[in-house]
Amino acid sequence: MFTTGSKLLIGSAVAAAAFAAIYGITQEGTLGTIGLVSAAIALALLAGINVFVRDSNVSAMDHGAFESAAAANDSARQSLWPLLVAVGATAVTLGLVTQRAVFILGMAAILVGLLEWVVQAWSERASADAGHNAAARGLMAHPLELPVTAAAGAGVVVYSFSRVMLGLPSKSATVAAFAVAGALILGVGTILGMKPGTSKSTLTGAFSIAAVALVAGGTVAGFTGGRAVEPHHTPATIAEENDCGAEPTEADENGSQSIAAKSNLIAEIAYDGSDLNLDLIGFNGDFESLTVPKSNANNVLFRNESNEPARLVIEMHPALDDNGLPIGPERLCTTLVEEGGVQLLTIKFTRPSRAVPEGYAFTVPGSDAELEVVVP
Amino acid sequence: MITLTPKDRTTPSMLEQPRSDVTPGMRLVKGGLLAAAAAVALSACAQNAPQDTWKPKGENAQKIQNLQWPVFLVAGIVGLIVFGVVLYCVIRYRDKGQPIPEQTHGKAWLEYLFIAIPAVILVGVAIPTVATVIALNKTGDADCFINVTGQQWWWEYDYPVTADGKICGYAPTVPGALPIVTSGQMVIPADTKVVIRGTSRDVIHSFWVPALNGKRDMVPGRVHTWRFHANEPGIFAGQCAEFCGLSHANMRMEIVALAPADFQAWIDNQLEPYQAPEAGTLAATGEQTFIAQCSRCHQIDGLVDTDGQPVIAAPDQFVWSGAAPNLTNLMTRNTFAGATWDLLTEQCRADVWEATPAEFGAAYLAGVSKQCLNEIDLKEWLRNAPAKKPMFTDPAKLVETDGKTRGMPYLALSEDQINELVAYLLERK
Repeated sequence: MFTTGSKLLIGSAVAAAAFAAIYGITQEGTLGTIGLVSAAIALALLAGINVFVRDSNVSAMDHGAFESAAAANDSARQSLWPLLVAVGATAVTLGLVTQRAVFILGMAAILVGLLEWVVQAWSERASADAGHNAAARGLMAHPLELPVTAAAGAGVVVYSFSRVMLGLPSKSATVAAFAVAGALILGVGTILGMKPGTSKSTLTGAFSIAAVALVAGGTVAGFTGGRAVEPHHTPATIAEENDCGAEPTEADENGSQSIAAKSNLIAEIAYDGSDLNLDLIGFNGDFESLTVPKSNANNVLFRNESNEPARLVIEMHPALDDNGLPIGPERLCTTLVEEGGVQLLTIKFTRPSRAVPEGYAFTVPGSDAELEVVVP
Repeated sequence: MITLTPKDRTTPSMLEQPRSDVTPGMRLVKGGLLAAAAAVALSACAQNAPQDTWKPKGENAQKIQNLQWPVFLVAGIVGLIVFGVVLYCVIRYRDKGQPIPEQTHGKAWLEYLFIAIPAVILVGVAIPTVATVIALNKTGDADCFINVTGQQWWWEYDYPVTADGKICGYAPTVPGALPIVTSGQMVIPADTKVVIRGTSRDVIHSFWVPALNGKRDMVPGRVHTWRFHANEPGIFAGQCAEFCGLSHANMRMEIVALAPADFQAWIDNQLEPYQAPEAGTLAATGEQTFIAQCSRCHQIDGLVDTDGQPVIAAPDQFVWSGAAPNLTNLMTRNTFAGATWDLLTEQCRADVWEATPAEFGAAYLAGVSKQCLNEIDLKEWLRNAPAKKPMFTDPAKLVETDGKTRGMPYLALSEDQINELVAYLLERK
């Protein structure tokens, strides 16, 4: 019922499905399992097509002709694919006790090796015509080989390029590298465009050199590691380092002085140089304290209506864990807000006011302004 | 080419189709569907329907009522006309083997008319609708302010104190007190414009008390305002109107409107200092049980431990929403567990719900007495809360919430502990 090629493809599909099950159970990895299941589905589809076209071999319909054809003979060529399968099996074994990535690579090698081995063995026995066999192999393997090879090649190029970019010592160097790479591509493209008669071997050589250079650069950069990134100070940083005073900090240099006013606010707090004035959004009453539900993030808008930069600060008095460490930030603050500037501050209290003898209050360093916050 | 004559179009099999093709099973299904439709239709006649959207008890709900009546009327008339015409056509022009009539196309005046009539109706509906929406969103004229916070699956209310030291316009006899925080039932002064400022601690909820106003979504990270007004004292039932998870159906709320003097009394009572149970009583044992078993999540203001230190709940460490109901004055409320179960027995509940506006305040402020306590439901709740109200508390499934529960977990309390807790909670009024 099934032709030789179909049997091989069906076997491969079953093997891929089995590997998917083994991998899924032992590694609990979804990505690898999805890949293997996808391979199994693809192989099953190919098997189905192959059954339909009868190995693309008319003689297969005639059992007598099939048995007398050259394809019935053993393959004269030796295959290197079992070597890749062996390497893959070793990697799988190592991967089981080392890293998942090694295991995945091993599985991929086994899958590719088996697939290619199977297709090669089948195609070389498809008929007595070597040309026909090569075409049959292409028909069977190219739909998988070409996209996978292209994707792998593109992946290597992108990954190598990204390593080079990350390995360059500064942003300016990265920009320069982009400019140089862009100029090179443009230059080479222009030259090739002006000389349409350039030989294939010249083109292949040029692109091979470029690819090798890129991969080599990526490898070197990958081993060297990315450039050191110095984190910028933010309001969270200065709050953590207890730098929420009246003095300017690095974070203040980049602090936003305006907002899109689309954030949902619980209150606006305006500083006039001596007092903090409260406007509760939605409530038209006169309030001297801000009541905030516990365990809920709320945005307040700080508006500096004074004549000098000001910062809104609040001590959060977080609960302590079993080791005496605070659960959550100890204080929150804005950056220095310039005259007429506004900034958001998101607050979330985890303890009610009655648990904090000092109480909660917004303050502005360098002034006596204070606004009570009540957490029921 | 084959031409169909009227005779051809009526096949013998169609005419001779026996009625017996309708099997008893099909008749049963049809009967069942008819009965279900009748049940749905008759449910509109229910007398005990506290969430009836057609019985406004306040200014905002009346605005909605004034809009929905004419809209439903117009929609009903249009619907009747459409159904009537369809029915007439189906019966009058049903296939009796007659030849297909002459097919004509295009009657401009008729098409213009069919465009103009719906347009006029829609404009007529849109004008009062937009006006009502704008009127319902007006919140600047309120005299009472309440923060409402939704979480799975209950509502929390806290009453901010204004600059003059008042709560909802009423000065408490205990000055400088912290805001009142309660849950389940939101108590408001009757005949007063109340604005709520609502948000959510976890997922989107919707605050809906049909007798007093429409729905308003409560969204995490956002603050939405909504206004309520109750014409006279009474109790008004509501329901979360945005699907919010496992126990959405059990996330209810009630608004209790009290006359001015009664509201003043309610505020004063809420701010009364904590009264510890008498030493040696079952309630005193219950206090220690509460501290050991319940105070991790539930706050009772004024409660101190044996060292005299305030007992402060930390629900943010155990509950996904970061909050659990404050039980300081539990027995001044009539409900528990997201207003799903009554703290009052059936008769005592009826005494409150059926009280006249003049008598309502006294009935409500009486709270829950030992005789009126619905011990059965309360004890069942304490025995195994997740069995009574579906909640996300199975320890095996809490990995994604970092071990935090959504709702009250099973606490494996003994019957003695449950009795102690009930005795203790009964004094929280």
